[in-house]
Amino acid sequence: MGNFTLGRYMPLDSPIHKMDPRMKIIAMLLMLISIFINAGWIGYGIIFVVMSCVIMTAKLSFRFIWKAMKPMLFMLCFLLVINALVVTTGVPLFTIGSFTLYSGAVMQTLYIAVRLLLMIMITTCLTATTKPMDMTLGIEDLLGPLKKIGVPAHEIAMLISIALRFIPDLIDETQRIMKAQQSRGVDMQEGTIKEKVGAILSLIVPLFVSAFQRAEDLANAMEARGYAPGEPRTRYRTLKFHARDYILLGGSLCILVTMIGVSILL
Amino acid sequence: MPIQFENVSHVYSAGTPYQYQALKGINLKIAEGKMTAVIGETGSGKSTLVQHLNALLLPDEGKIRILDRVIVAGEKPKKLKSLRGKVGLVFQFPEYQLFEETVIKDVAFGPKNFGVSEQEAVLKAKQALHLVGLGEEFFEKSPLELSGGQKRRVAIAGILAMDPKVLVLDEPTAGLDPAGTKMMMRLFERLNKEMHKTVLIVTHDMEQVFAYCDDVVIVADGKIRMHGPAKKFFEDSRLCKEMNILPPALIRTRDALNQNGFEIPSDIADIHALAKEIRKQVKRHG
Repeated sequence: MGNFTLGRYMPLDSPIHKMDPRMKIIAMLLMLISIFINAGWIGYGIIFVVMSCVIMTAKLSFRFIWKAMKPMLFMLCFLLVINALVVTTGVPLFTIGSFTLYSGAVMQTLYIAVRLLLMIMITTCLTATTKPMDMTLGIEDLLGPLKKIGVPAHEIAMLISIALRFIPDLIDETQRIMKAQQSRGVDMQEGTIKEKVGAILSLIVPLFVSAFQRAEDLANAMEARGYAPGEPRTRYRTLKFHARDYILLGGSLCILVTMIGVSILL
Repeated sequence: MPIQFENVSHVYSAGTPYQYQALKGINLKIAEGKMTAVIGETGSGKSTLVQHLNALLLPDEGKIRILDRVIVAGEKPKKLKSLRGKVGLVFQFPEYQLFEETVIKDVAFGPKNFGVSEQEAVLKAKQALHLVGLGEEFFEKSPLELSGGQKRRVAIAGILAMDPKVLVLDEPTAGLDPAGTKMMMRLFERLNKEMHKTVLIVTHDMEQVFAYCDDVVIVADGKIRMHGPAKKFFEDSRLCKEMNILPPALIRTRDALNQNGFEIPSDIADIHALAKEIRKQVKRHG
């Protein structure tokens, strides 16, 4: 569980960390849109190079990205199997019995793999460099205009921030319960299916009990401090755009335009 | 030596900005059949230390001998389950680990995992529950409907039912009422003295250390600061001060009396003996 890096904040000191969360979220959305513009391998190459530069500026290691990618490998294998069965375009690569593997299937899977890698690079650049609290402030501000049409922007932001805040706690709790049950002879790795189900049950039940307990405690603590959703609230931290934020916006807009350009030219 | 640490270090989240070295070259020998207290400030590495005892955490450096097993840093040990049956570890606030529908099933869960038959596991569970002072009326209750103190006892019974040779307890009395605390400490003393189990107990309560433990280990900043007989340690007021530890009330009272003209000998073991001694000396001086 300690190896779980997807979406984890890394407390480092870099220009990317200092940027305004609102602009980082906008830039991320622009980059994600860029990925889905079909600009072929050239387009992906450009995005990859740009994102690699961003990752290096943010002082993140590529191993960190790779670790975040790892859980997706299973999904990709699954996709390859499906594609191999369904896709019949391109040149046949080899035939086993009545089954033929086409180059199209491999290309299709590779395409998705690259997209997934780029998406993880982009989202990791946001989540690893933005404190969860800043992220929610950013989301709340960006959703601000929607308040007029009745979207509860503050409540959504509060929900997200509470959920994010509890992830590390729940991971810790899971590890704690796992250790406690391992001390009672539960074997999480080995054993028959029946034993494994028992092992999972011995983990899930206490986890639920404590999660509900925590939720109730938090609700009480919030009410005790006079929290009422929907009431106007002041903020300790206010967000302000700086020159670097506009550079980020300009940069990501450039990428988007380039992608559209490449896709038209091709 | 059932337990021996040789130059053991442990690092959490190595290679990330969260990296933290919790243990820094621990050397420690725990003799068989002793009741040892592990004390130290919050964050000193006590919990990390005790989790090495049943190999929940593995050393990043050094070597640990536990009973007939040797765990060396860098080697991936196999069949840790048998070790965990022999070294029973009770976590802080262990009531969170309860999950079965009934108390008896939950307590029997441990022994069953170690390959004991259903019948025998239930028998062991009954004995363990009896030890912690929970009668038959509790057996069929859901562990979730018990009080905090009762849950704690069920959780501890869950480890006792495994009949471990070494019992490790991480702050077992935290949050219990005084009567519950006393009952628990008496139980651990009985397990140590009558059933000859090696007991390690992490605690912040010096009164407990003084009243029940043979030895004391002081952990500070991931290192062993001191290891020796508990009584002798508390007698040494300078050493206590150096370790930033307030001696138990009995010793403080005795020292205060001696500073004011009394001559109380150091072998006074409890409050009644102290009272008698005071009366004797008051009478003698008229």
